[in-house]
Amino acid sequence: MGLRAYIIRRILLVIPILMGTTLLIFAVTQLFNPVARASLYITNIQQFTTENINQVIEKHGLNDPAYMQFFRWLSEVLSGNLGYSRTARQPVLQALITRIPATFELVMFSAPIIILLGIYLGVKSAVHRDKPIDHATRTLSIIGWSLPTFWLGIILLSVFYVGFQAFPPRRLSPTTYNFVSMSGSYVRYTGLYTIDGLLNGQLWITLEALEHLVLPVLTLTIVIVTIIIRVMRSSMLEALNKGYIIAARAKGLTQNEVINKHARRNALIPTVTISGLLVAGLLNGVVITETIFSLNGIGMWAAAAALQMDIAGVLGFTLFSGFLFVMANLIVDILYAYLDPRIMLA
Amino acid sequence: MGAKSRFREFKVEMGPTVKEIKFMLGRIKKSPLSIVGMAIIIFFIAVALLAPILAPPGPDWAVYETYDPMRIPRDSYVSTPSPPSERHPFGTAEFQYDLYYGSIWGTITAFRVGLWVTLASLAIGLSIGVVAGYYGGIIDELMMRFTDIIMAFPGLILAMALVAAFGATLDNVLLALTIIGWPGYTRVIRGEILRVKQEDYVEAAKAVGCSDLRVIVKHVLPNSIYPIVIMASLDIGSVVLTAAALSFLGLGAPVDYADWGQLIARSQNWIYGNINDPFSFWYTFLIPGIFIFTFVLGWNLLGDAFRDIMDPTLRRR
Amino acid sequence: MTMTKNLLNIENLIVRFYTYEGVVEALDGVNLSLKEGETLGLVGETGCGKSVTSLSVLVLVPPPGKIESGSVIFQTENGNIDLLNQDEAFLRRIRGKEISMIFQDPRSALNPVYTVEEQIGEAFIHHRKREIAEIVLEGIENDLSKGGSWKDSIYRLEKKIYKKMLKNPNSFSLKILSKIPIVNRYQGRLKKEVRKEVVRILGIMKIPDPERVVDMYPHELSGGMAQRVVTAMALGCNPKLLIADEPTTNLDVTIQAQILELIRELKEKFESTVLYITHDLGVVAELCDRVAVMYSGNICELADVMEIFKRPLHPYTQGLLESIPRPGRKFTSIEGEVPSLINPPLGCRFNPRCPKAMQACSQVKPRLLEVEKDHFAMCHLYQGSSK
Repeated sequence: MGLRAYIIRRILLVIPILMGTTLLIFAVTQLFNPVARASLYITNIQQFTTENINQVIEKHGLNDPAYMQFFRWLSEVLSGNLGYSRTARQPVLQALITRIPATFELVMFSAPIIILLGIYLGVKSAVHRDKPIDHATRTLSIIGWSLPTFWLGIILLSVFYVGFQAFPPRRLSPTTYNFVSMSGSYVRYTGLYTIDGLLNGQLWITLEALEHLVLPVLTLTIVIVTIIIRVMRSSMLEALNKGYIIAARAKGLTQNEVINKHARRNALIPTVTISGLLVAGLLNGVVITETIFSLNGIGMWAAAAALQMDIAGVLGFTLFSGFLFVMANLIVDILYAYLDPRIMLA
Repeated sequence: MGAKSRFREFKVEMGPTVKEIKFMLGRIKKSPLSIVGMAIIIFFIAVALLAPILAPPGPDWAVYETYDPMRIPRDSYVSTPSPPSERHPFGTAEFQYDLYYGSIWGTITAFRVGLWVTLASLAIGLSIGVVAGYYGGIIDELMMRFTDIIMAFPGLILAMALVAAFGATLDNVLLALTIIGWPGYTRVIRGEILRVKQEDYVEAAKAVGCSDLRVIVKHVLPNSIYPIVIMASLDIGSVVLTAAALSFLGLGAPVDYADWGQLIARSQNWIYGNINDPFSFWYTFLIPGIFIFTFVLGWNLLGDAFRDIMDPTLRRR
Repeated sequence: MTMTKNLLNIENLIVRFYTYEGVVEALDGVNLSLKEGETLGLVGETGCGKSVTSLSVLVLVPPPGKIESGSVIFQTENGNIDLLNQDEAFLRRIRGKEISMIFQDPRSALNPVYTVEEQIGEAFIHHRKREIAEIVLEGIENDLSKGGSWKDSIYRLEKKIYKKMLKNPNSFSLKILSKIPIVNRYQGRLKKEVRKEVVRILGIMKIPDPERVVDMYPHELSGGMAQRVVTAMALGCNPKLLIADEPTTNLDVTIQAQILELIRELKEKFESTVLYITHDLGVVAELCDRVAVMYSGNICELADVMEIFKRPLHPYTQGLLESIPRPGRKFTSIEGEVPSLINPPLGCRFNPRCPKAMQACSQVKPRLLEVEKDHFAMCHLYQGSSK
């Protein structure tokens, strides 16, 4: 079948998975008592007083059998109502929307570095197997992968910020933050300070935002890049062992051509599939990293919500992450089909 | 057939496997990384076993819990941590919990978390995977959809949600981590079963009259041991890391519990030191962190060494 | 040895493999020569070193293998050159152009993620860029002469680029140009010509409907087709020496016959010298002029194909011919097993299994000597009677 048919088929497969994920989240909600669950339906803190709590429960049928509740809840979710988050003091959906830019900014700088560096080091490591560069990469890789993200963040913060007064936490310094929120000459276009700084013609804001991003990006990158290096290295080793490598050499191709044209493309295939893990790693990492560096993104909010038993918040975030992850896997699968024509035989 | 000849037959059958194991043990001994890994793990096992001797609980301390050595004792309630001294070799954390005690007994927690979760995930995952692979059909579909759903969430995030739902205790952390852990094993074992089902020797075994279950147990499991062993040893490390992360976020062990992640969580207020000396509280986060890092490193080194050794392309050389 | 020109001369080639289990003495002083235009069959059991020999000719022995000593003398326009002394750049010019190889398993020799056109075309682009640039330039002149269209300036630019390609196909500036997104459209002409060539070659390989096959991926090809594609890959640049490493072993018998027929025709058409590696004596009888029999890292007998079958001198060859099943005859085989090459037997490696072994055989290694005219054998039985 062609690529198009495969894509369509794959997209259709997403629907049952999404259904399943919502089911799982719903099952988790049933672990809470009706009062707690009420937070999933209301959008306004005013609605939630002790007087009308029973009214609220009645209104949303929180004492009804599970299956009825499920459809009610699902329809709320699909219409955008994910409930009200105590920790954010906003409806969940709004909380997500206002906080996504900070997370996106962090990921926007981390992901390309992770991918490019990971592929590069993985290939180099495999091609020069058992030579110094291979040993060095693998050692650093294992170290990076054994580091607890939160500990790495704390150490970096301690050494650089506390020690050298460089690379502060939070997204901007307090004065700049004041300027950005109070001053009239700053317009929020995207919510990303690096980009908005440029769009507003205030380069210093961009530079400051970048300075604040150094440590968080470093933290996130060091831990996750090791996954990519590992997979790229092993799949590259496998590709280099294949018959078509010798056949390519027998045609007179240079070493570079053999590696880049023949081996790498084949090795990228399992790496692309592992990119799903990359997204998971990023989502996980973002929770910890944002918490340590006080970046006001969805990760920090999720951590606070979990700690304070803000059910709507936690579940809203979880549902969102699940959705994101499923979408990411979809894209990965399509990319995979594009790279490897064999898959479409299936 | 007498028992003696059966045994001889068994020995002959196991011959190549034994040779293989010996070959691998030889390779393990030659690989410096795996030796380091094993040394680290043995070190931590020793620490865990000797904990009562290395850091005795009890009346020595001003404030302690008689019934639970896992609760870190302290000498006072002062909030500011104090640096390493003779009485407190690693210093004390916020509210004077002894870091040395916490780190030593934290080893037991780490082993408990790592081994418990990994073994439970393994057991559940393998069983479900075997059932799915063996029966196939609708049962297989259902099981796989179920694993798909769990795997549709990033691990830490789903664990967070589950712990928030169940209540923030260490046992619930173990439960949550097991729930997110078993699908990985299910997928692996099911994949192996499906792959082996297609092999010729399965047809041959069936032709001779073996039942499907026997085929699975006798042929599939021994062959799939390698990826599972590798996965398990790498898993222990990652489980401990995730559990530590949960403790760090406040979703795991309670404040005075001997858990490395929890100790680091306590250190968050002290990262910035005081005005004169920015690093004055380095011991609050550096020391427990080194413990976590080294522990996980040991398991990762071992798992990585396993992976290299069991790599079929490497064997040929 | 006779004085007709030898295209290839392998002298005393020693290759070792350094494995964890020990050092494998794969090639123990191999001596082989190929005359121009002939088809030499290299026969032997699996593991005797045939493939290693062929890879050594291309100097492509993969690690942990290492070519320890010896020489591989190949006849080029500039005279006889020892390939083992050359640098990579020189060897790359030879590989695929002067010496080509057809691999044993066609499927694993083809990269699964590239089409047939891309893989065959690769060799063309690498070796025959100048030729193709000339053809392209003709085409550009043609377009320019039609004249009057706005594209003329583009054509003139393309003309400049291809003139450069004619002078120096691997120039740095061309490499950069090929990476710039819109500019590298100029390669379209090149690719068209290459595609035409590939289709033409596929036609010579008797592949039906080459226009369609050219766009296929390896997994879409049948075994026979895949082998034809691999053959096309090897013959595309009209090599002087073609090494065929068991090209029909993995194919059905009927396909085998077709491929053999194809190779025979191609041999005549291209006038190539062929080193045909196989373990199948029947194929040897059909296709080859001379035969070299290989055992355990040594050439033990070398002669005309008729001679070998009529009067095999070496006990191993005799054993091989005896063991060909024939109706009416008892089924025999050579006793014993192929020795481990980590600890090969002393003296003649065949001596443990040789029915005619003498005292000297387990002590001194025999040399490959011309026992009769153009008939060489490596055996103590004939040491005295050499010419």
